[in-house]
Amino acid sequence: MPNASKRILVGTAIALLAAAILVFPSLAPNPYILSSGVLVLNYAVLATSWNFVGGFTGYISLGHGALAGLGGYATGLLVVKAGLPSFAALAVAALLVAALAVPLGMAALRVRGASFVIVSIALVLILLLVFQSWASFTGGSRGLVVPRPFDLSRPEHHRVFYYLFAVLLAIAVLAWWLIDRSRFGLGLKSIREDEDKAEALGTPTFAYKLIVFVVSAGFTALAGGLYALWFGDLDPVFQFSILTGSYLVLMALLGGVRNLFGPVAGAILVGTALEYFKVEYGDTPLHLVATGVLLALVVLFMPDGVLPAIGDLLKRLDRTKKSSIREVTAAELAEQRKAAV
Amino acid sequence: MPINSFRAISTATAVFALALGTAGCSGDDQGSSGSSDPIVVGISLPLTGDFSEPGKGVQEGYEAWAKVVNDKGGLLGRQVELKILDDQSNADRVVADYEQLIGKDQVDLVVGPFSTRLVVPSARVAEEYDMLFVEPAGAAKEVFEQGFKNLFYAAPAVANDHYNHLAEHILALPADQRPKTAAYAAMDDPFAQGTAYGLKEKLEAGGVKTVVNEVYPPNTTDFSGIAAKVAAAKADVLVGGSQYQDGVNLIVALQQLGYQPKLAAFSTAPTNPEFAKAIGNKTTGILSPTGYSQDAPYESNKEFVEKFKAQFGKAPEEDQANGYTTGQVVAAAVTAAGCAEQGECQKKLVDWLHSNKVDTVVGPLSWDQTGKPQGAHMIQQWVDNDIKIVLPADVKEADFVYPKPAW
Amino acid sequence: MLLFQSILLGLLLGGLYALLASGLTLYFGIMRVVMIAHSAFLILAAYLAWWMHDRIGVDPLLSMVVTVPLFFAAGVGLQRLLLTRLRPATLTMMSVLLTFAIALTVEGLLGYAFTGTQRRVQLGYSSASFEIFGARIAVVKLIAFVLAVIALSGLYVLMKRTRFGWALRATIQHRDAARLLGIDTERVAGYGFGIGLATAAVGGTALSLDTTIYPSLHWHWIGPLMAIIVVGGLGSVPGAAAAAMVLGMAQSLLQIPMGTTWAQTVFYVALFATLAFRPQGFFGGRLAQRF
Repeated sequence: MPNASKRILVGTAIALLAAAILVFPSLAPNPYILSSGVLVLNYAVLATSWNFVGGFTGYISLGHGALAGLGGYATGLLVVKAGLPSFAALAVAALLVAALAVPLGMAALRVRGASFVIVSIALVLILLLVFQSWASFTGGSRGLVVPRPFDLSRPEHHRVFYYLFAVLLAIAVLAWWLIDRSRFGLGLKSIREDEDKAEALGTPTFAYKLIVFVVSAGFTALAGGLYALWFGDLDPVFQFSILTGSYLVLMALLGGVRNLFGPVAGAILVGTALEYFKVEYGDTPLHLVATGVLLALVVLFMPDGVLPAIGDLLKRLDRTKKSSIREVTAAELAEQRKAAV
Repeated sequence: MPINSFRAISTATAVFALALGTAGCSGDDQGSSGSSDPIVVGISLPLTGDFSEPGKGVQEGYEAWAKVVNDKGGLLGRQVELKILDDQSNADRVVADYEQLIGKDQVDLVVGPFSTRLVVPSARVAEEYDMLFVEPAGAAKEVFEQGFKNLFYAAPAVANDHYNHLAEHILALPADQRPKTAAYAAMDDPFAQGTAYGLKEKLEAGGVKTVVNEVYPPNTTDFSGIAAKVAAAKADVLVGGSQYQDGVNLIVALQQLGYQPKLAAFSTAPTNPEFAKAIGNKTTGILSPTGYSQDAPYESNKEFVEKFKAQFGKAPEEDQANGYTTGQVVAAAVTAAGCAEQGECQKKLVDWLHSNKVDTVVGPLSWDQTGKPQGAHMIQQWVDNDIKIVLPADVKEADFVYPKPAW
Repeated sequence: MLLFQSILLGLLLGGLYALLASGLTLYFGIMRVVMIAHSAFLILAAYLAWWMHDRIGVDPLLSMVVTVPLFFAAGVGLQRLLLTRLRPATLTMMSVLLTFAIALTVEGLLGYAFTGTQRRVQLGYSSASFEIFGARIAVVKLIAFVLAVIALSGLYVLMKRTRFGWALRATIQHRDAARLLGIDTERVAGYGFGIGLATAAVGGTALSLDTTIYPSLHWHWIGPLMAIIVVGGLGSVPGAAAAAMVLGMAQSLLQIPMGTTWAQTVFYVALFATLAFRPQGFFGGRLAQRF
């Protein structure tokens, strides 16, 4: 396919997606659907934020739910205890979480894979303990009530936050795209493909991993903080839940971690499915089973994502093209490198 | 940009359109409420998760209420229909549930979920849609500090006042018998802590020294550490701010360490039908506050106990009574205001409840402006393998046993 | 007096931790797999013990006759049928996700079958105890501890004294070299996994004797266990056992000044400290450095 027409296609698709997201609130028949839309967008932002680490470096974090919870609590506490205006608190909270991500990343990323995952799970568990126990500061299990930033009726409140999440999603996607195109992004991807070789070739792997982890934590905290301002009630048990992290991984893997819009597609798919099945069939522990089985299937058979797998299948039917497991061929890589210089 | 992006974006768009379509279709399945349509009451309850045990109890209470009302011809001549969702004991879910009930299902009335943690977020949803919100379980004082105007707690007293009669009784004991020290162990839960700390405040003010004060997370399973501390302190009084299983675990751990208090009080746990068996039948002397008694002389209570036994084949407990009471309160308001739908009507219901008294299975209830009920709990005690009311003196079924025999 | 009591409780608790952590670190040694579902199987075994006691009326200890072989087979199957399908290059990461998915599935099925209600085995000797130098030891806790000690000793003898143990250790130390020596490393790895999961069956039975169980309880266990195997040095069974005793004791003693909730943080503090200052762990384990 020629480059120009490809670009037009991609552009049209992005415009369509953006339009669909933007008109959704006016089509939503009632505030409940609108609030589900807010939740799905929240998932989309979180999954995209997760993908800064997961997609670029291949390090899988199950602890991003905790970073979001931390962003939410930091925002809430800054509003309630320090009296900051809501959105100033949101910004400060994101910076604080990003700062905290530095020592965290240093402990987690110094060693490879296994320890990283262990730390990410431990993060959820330890934050749950701390936020539950430190009741005098966090409100403990009594929860923390975050004041509303605007004085609006509930449906209007949903609508405003829907657009705020859409803006945040646009920023996160844009940031991902910029990194993807940069030399920095190339270095990160080389870590994913083979960390030893990347290191041998002089890529400062540790610094790269740390930077992208911090960026990811910052975006996650923004999403968590915005959620806190929207939802209003924070409770440690729900903010620091291991399940949030696993939903994010499922969404990103399902949509495809190497794609700009993969996590968004995954979030819309999984988020909508979660709400739909809940409304139609009620809540049962089978949700866990479904999540578990789906995750296992994806990991076993389509580790690069379901959508890309379907795409590959179509492509194979379409034409007998390259069948490299790598995302780009050596020739394309060289071309990209030339373009980047 | 790799070609895959295009596919991902188009898929995202397609999925989104699909979601939109589903949303659109399922949005308009409820119409207006004509006079012959049933009155739909929306409820979200924890049927799975941490609070599933009491959640199911409350559900039975609601179901018993709906059946009793419908057998008598319904409310305002309309049948009552319950729409119950499961919130998995999860605050995010409970909010989504009420959002769905009010916004999508267009229910006529909503009533409360179980546990304080869930009451506050769900009450806010109801408040912001201007719905009356009578609830069976948010007893902690925080609930009434949120500035809710539409909320009413359908039980005699808030958590901190549960032990008022017991505190009075202990402090009135002659000086040589009065306990000197007390140990408190409470679950990290607003309700459970509320009950224990209400008593703690009063006993401390009366000169009973606090020697142990422990808080444990809701999912604690190993109580040996807490038990070791309580046993080492040899406190005269033991107060457990407990739900069911944690109370049992704590008692068993204390039995293992051979600790014998002179007085032991637990919230909720001792009234559970399986309690005696779970702690090896060594129950005599264990105290518990209760807002409900099957033998209470209130008019509607006899009917409730009878019909409940017929429907479920067992006697109602406090959770069931709380659900039933909630129904009674709503029914009284609906009957008085002559309407039950969203909109203007809800304000009439709220106003009526603020200025009137309602007769229920737990006695007459009335509320202050924050929706806090104005009463106290009775104190029950295990005597001769049965739990009986011992305080206050005017309604007692048995004499107060003190000091408590060994367990 | 309280101190002595806490030391005893810490010792009893540490024994159980040691058994469970050994299984977890064994998987890592064999395949570089962090088996998140280990504690989910632990809870499953506890549920089976409870269920058999509740329905059939057999003592929970007897349930091991069924659960231990069953879990061994499940472990072999898990390794041979699922884990070997993963790409070697991303094995560590993807195996975490896979075992995480299995944990969720087990939790969901338990919730579906037995509801979220907390369960507890009620035994005639549940609250029995005896006194030793002024402190008290509960009979059930002692049984659990003895079970753990027997299982751990069995594991030790198996690893050090048998031909299979020799092959297993060779596989852990250097897989390729072991294969050159004629060891069927695939088969050994499968059996190793089976043994790891069998320890979860024993641990679950021990657990069911004295605590309440509910489906999501496994998250409560996996955190401390992961911390233990990192502190002990990933892949080192003696390291895991030693770290388990030290941390279990620390938790028990810290409960006196800090309370139960804060005392649990000792595991995570130890985890972060280990990763920051000594990633290979404190009790051996050369493997950890690179993973």
